[in-house]
Parts: sequence; structure tokens; C-alpha cells
Amino acid sequence: MKTLAIITGKILIFLGSLLHRGSTLPGKTALKIDKKLLSKLKYPENTIVITGSSGKGSTSNLIATTLKNNGAKVTFNESGSNLDRGITTTLLKNCTLTGKIKTDYIVLEMDERYTKKAFQYLNPKYVIITNLTKDQPPRQHYTDLVYQDILESIPKDTKIITNMDDPYLRKFSKDLKNEIIYYSIQENKYSYKKQIFENLNIYRCPYCHTTLEYSYYNFETLGKYNCPSCSFKYETPNYLGTLDLDSSIIKVKNDKYEIGGDMLYNAYNTLAAIATLKELDIPSSTIINSFKKINCSKKTSFESYNKTFTAISCKAENATTYNQAVFKVISDKSKKDIIIGWKEISRRYNYFDISWLYDVEFELLLKNTHKFYCCGIDAENIAKRLILGGIPEEKIITAPSLLEIKEEVIKDEVDKVYGILNFDYIEPFKETMREENNDN
Amino acid sequence: MTINIAHLFPDILNLYGENGNIKALKYALEKLNYQVSITNVTIEDKIEFPKYDFVYIGSGRSEYLKLAQQKLLEYKNDILSYIKKDKVMLVTGNALSLFEFLNLYEVSKEQTFKVADVKATTSLCNGMIYAFQNTEYLIKSTTNLIFNLESGFGNNETMLEGFKEHNFYVTSLIGPLLARNDNLTKYFVNTLTENH
Repeated sequence: MKTLAIITGKILIFLGSLLHRGSTLPGKTALKIDKKLLSKLKYPENTIVITGSSGKGSTSNLIATTLKNNGAKVTFNESGSNLDRGITTTLLKNCTLTGKIKTDYIVLEMDERYTKKAFQYLNPKYVIITNLTKDQPPRQHYTDLVYQDILESIPKDTKIITNMDDPYLRKFSKDLKNEIIYYSIQENKYSYKKQIFENLNIYRCPYCHTTLEYSYYNFETLGKYNCPSCSFKYETPNYLGTLDLDSSIIKVKNDKYEIGGDMLYNAYNTLAAIATLKELDIPSSTIINSFKKINCSKKTSFESYNKTFTAISCKAENATTYNQAVFKVISDKSKKDIIIGWKEISRRYNYFDISWLYDVEFELLLKNTHKFYCCGIDAENIAKRLILGGIPEEKIITAPSLLEIKEEVIKDEVDKVYGILNFDYIEPFKETMREENNDN
Repeated sequence: MTINIAHLFPDILNLYGENGNIKALKYALEKLNYQVSITNVTIEDKIEFPKYDFVYIGSGRSEYLKLAQQKLLEYKNDILSYIKKDKVMLVTGNALSLFEFLNLYEVSKEQTFKVADVKATTSLCNGMIYAFQNTEYLIKSTTNLIFNLESGFGNNETMLEGFKEHNFYVTSLIGPLLARNDNLTKYFVNTLTENH
């Protein structure tokens, strides 16, 4: 059965490549022929899984590409198919007919709920957990369930690489005996002293439930914390990054790495990748050069109609990514217009859940914003969220598409326009707002 | 005139943007020129029921539901007397599991999460109610109901949802319920302003 499943899978991959078709069918078919196929493959020692609520795609890309740039053969699901079928297709592409994976490394971006099944057979050497925040509530319900899935399935010899700055992720230290490698970003120019976000996952000590104290916040619950009642506190991490967000550089020990953007999550994803690659003994110079290539062209701003447009990509149903965008916008104190919108909330299911919009701290935008443009199919719901957040109705404009607000936006008196957009609205935003014959 | 709103344990019971319910109520009351005072009550605070006109509590993670429950158990008589006095309290989402100890209604813990778009009507107000469900707990009792569901999960596998006793309203619906339904918010505003 195993060999038949592998051969069928490989034939379908070949045919798929001729037709430029999707990446899940070969895996799906192979798993139909042999349900236990994945437990029968032979994996290399260096299997690395990257999971979390957001950032797993970019982090795994940094890791896989750098390993390749260092001369290694790598199995990597770069198409982002991160559930059983897509992962099976990726593995079949890279195995022999007897089921032996031919590469030196396997790097898999993995859906956080799929880890429960996958860890049984993969036995990863490293699992990188980028973060666990509120995400896709109709599917995930709440973070503890994702946490529990990972906790219950992680093999005992697997090393975890995760973020010291997040007290929620420290629960792994509390509940597991596995070796955990932590990274952290030091207080930086944009750190702050007082909590500004409501509705977050964790404000209290995971051991005794006392409200945590912070000497600074980097963002949301990320920062330097301690419990005033017990011994729980931020501890010295294995990899400490010094961040210069304005020049998109993070320094670890004496090495400077490009983070490929000016968002804090770029820095955290990059640091997670640095920690992993250093654990794998990849030389700093290779990592630096590789990141320089990968992280070069992620410009979010462009000039058009004598204004600076900035498109910030978020993930609908994930309040943290929207909060990141809000945080980015408020770090610019000049007067600006803001456009908020998306094509659709979820591609995975048909539920209409907008509860997460009320977990985003849009209230912070009130200061220094001239106009709020709410766009797309849920324009009215976005507008209502803003109104209930105390934003004056006369500052809010709704429209079903970006095109309909274009004229008003370009005529507006302010010089800066920020788009807080679902990733499916980034290209429409750029296309609509870019002046013709302008290559900026 | 000031309406005193208490939001119980918002630092731990805060899944699904449920403080949107407080924002909606505040907005509607201020439109009518009422002053609104919001007290965020933590598990370390004393819950001063006699001081409040409206008490709200929303969904939380199971670890935190336990913490909240321990705290609420100390206030059984205060809560019952608050309800008897016709004062308003709204419980949404899985927080419905916290008040079984009042012996007013029963709760069922579901095998899997109940997730659904909800369309409903209610005798509390005219028009449709649009909401969402994402809960591992539902109400089991089928008396003192609030919603007539067209879609969604009702009490004890019926298409009727919620529990109401005087002005104590318990429902598994989220949304946030009041933020998405001006008609229902108006009902609560009227109840609150008539009480005053």
C-alpha cells in the first residue's frame, strides 16, 4: 500500500506540475490509498516545524531558504499548504519510492491545530512557536485549545524555540520538561510603559494569577514582566535582539541582520529564524547574507498623488495583526487618513463572525486621524465598530469599494494615507491608489 | 443622571470582543444624554452590587471561568437580591456556565464547541437579532426563554434560547450581541432608564 500511495502521489505531482495545479490533491489521494502513509516514511534527523497564530510562513521561509543558501537540500512546503494533504504532497515530492526523505532537512510551516496529528510521526528536532494569540475564533475557539494540542503532542526530545517576551508562551516552561530555547527583543525606541490594549490573552501570572507588572511593553503582552506575588518573571533569553526598527535591523550579539520591513512582527519572525539557524550551527555570515537577499523588497509605502501611501497587511479574524497595524500607525504622529477594509473575512468557512473587530484597539487611532474610510463588503460593520469606539461619525466614510473613495482620498488635505487591510486588499489598494505611470 | 455599569472581570473574561456590548450600551445612553460610569471589576475587588444599574459578564477561557466562579460563589445572596430588585444583569457566551449555582437554570456542557451564525427574534424587541455562537456550554432549562432561533443552537436541542428572570438575562449568543443589534440595545436602554 505504501509504495502504491507514493507512486500515485508522485505521478499526480508530476501531472500537477504540467498543469500548474494546486498542491493538495496528490497528498489527498496518497492518504486515501494509505491512511498511515505518513507514519511509514523515513524522516531525516533535522526536521523543523514552525507553527503559531501568525508569522509562521515568513519565519519558515527565512529558515528554509537560508539552509538552502548554505548548500543543504531542504524539503519545504513553501506554498503554505500547511495541513495534512499539503504537507503530504511536499513530503512525497522529496522521498524515494521506499519512502525515505532524500533531503538533509525538512522545514514545515504547520497549522497549529494539525500539530496534534503530525507530531506523532514527524518527531521534529525543533518546533518553533512564533506566538499564540486570538485567531480565527470560529475554528480555534480560544488559544488554550491550541496550546493544549501542542502540549499534549510534542515529543519529549523535541526542542522548543519560542518568545520569552510573551508570558503566555512561558506556560510551556511550566507544563513541559522539554528543552526550551528563548529569544527576546530588548526595550527599543517604540517600547512603552503602560498597557494600551484591552481584551488580550494574558494579563496575569500563569502560575498564581496575580496581575503581572511590566517594566516596558514592546507590544500587546510582549515585554519585560514579573509577577509581584511569586517568582515568575522574564528571564535572560538565549538570543537577545537589539532592534532598530527605523533602519529595519536587529542586532544579535555583534551581528546585524535585516528584518525585511518596519513592522515589529518582521523583527520577531526574523529573530525566531536567527535562533533556529544558530541552533543548527549555521554561520552568522551565511544568515546575514541570506536574509539580505530574502528580506530586501518588502516595501509597504509608495508615493502617489503627492501623498505617502502605506499598506499594512493584516490577517482577518486575528485581532493581534490588526493591533500591530494600529500600533504602527500611531507611531506616526502626523495627521493622516486611514483606510480599513477587506475582500472577505475568511476563506476557510462561511461563518459571519465579526466579534474579533471588537478585540482590535481602534480607539487608539482617534488622535491625529483626519478621516476614516471603511471599505469593502463589511464597510458598515467596520464603521459601526469605530463609532462605538467613540470616533466621531463625521470623520467616517463608508464605501463598498476602494475605487469609490479614491477621488476623495487623493483630494484630501493630509499628506499621509495608511491602509489597515486584510492581506487580500493589499494589491487592490496599491492598484487603486497608485498614480498611473508611477513606478515608485 | 448617571447609569452605573459594572463589567465583571474584563481582564480575564474577554474572548470574542464582548466589551463591545459595553461600548454599545454606553454609546446609546450617552446619545440620550445620560452620564455613564463604567467600573471594571477584577477578582481582587469587592463587587458592590447595590451600586450598579447594569452588570455585564462575558466569555472566558476555562482556566479563567474557574477563577471567576470562585469569586462569584461568595456573592450568591447579593446576586439573588440584585435580581429580585429588578436590576439589570446580562450574561453572554460561555459565562452562562458561571451562574448555575443560583439554581435558577441548568447548564449543559457540550461534547464539541457549538459554532453558528444566529438569526433570531425575541419578545424583548421588534425586528431580527443577528448574532454568533462559539461556546462549549448551553443552557439546558427550557423555561423563561429569550430568543426564538431561526438558526443556531437552542437550549436542550430546541430552537429556543436563553434564560430570563426579572431583569437577569443569560444567553450563549455573542456577536457582540448589543453592538450588532441596536433594537436589543434600545430595549436595555429603556429598561435602565425606566428603572432610574
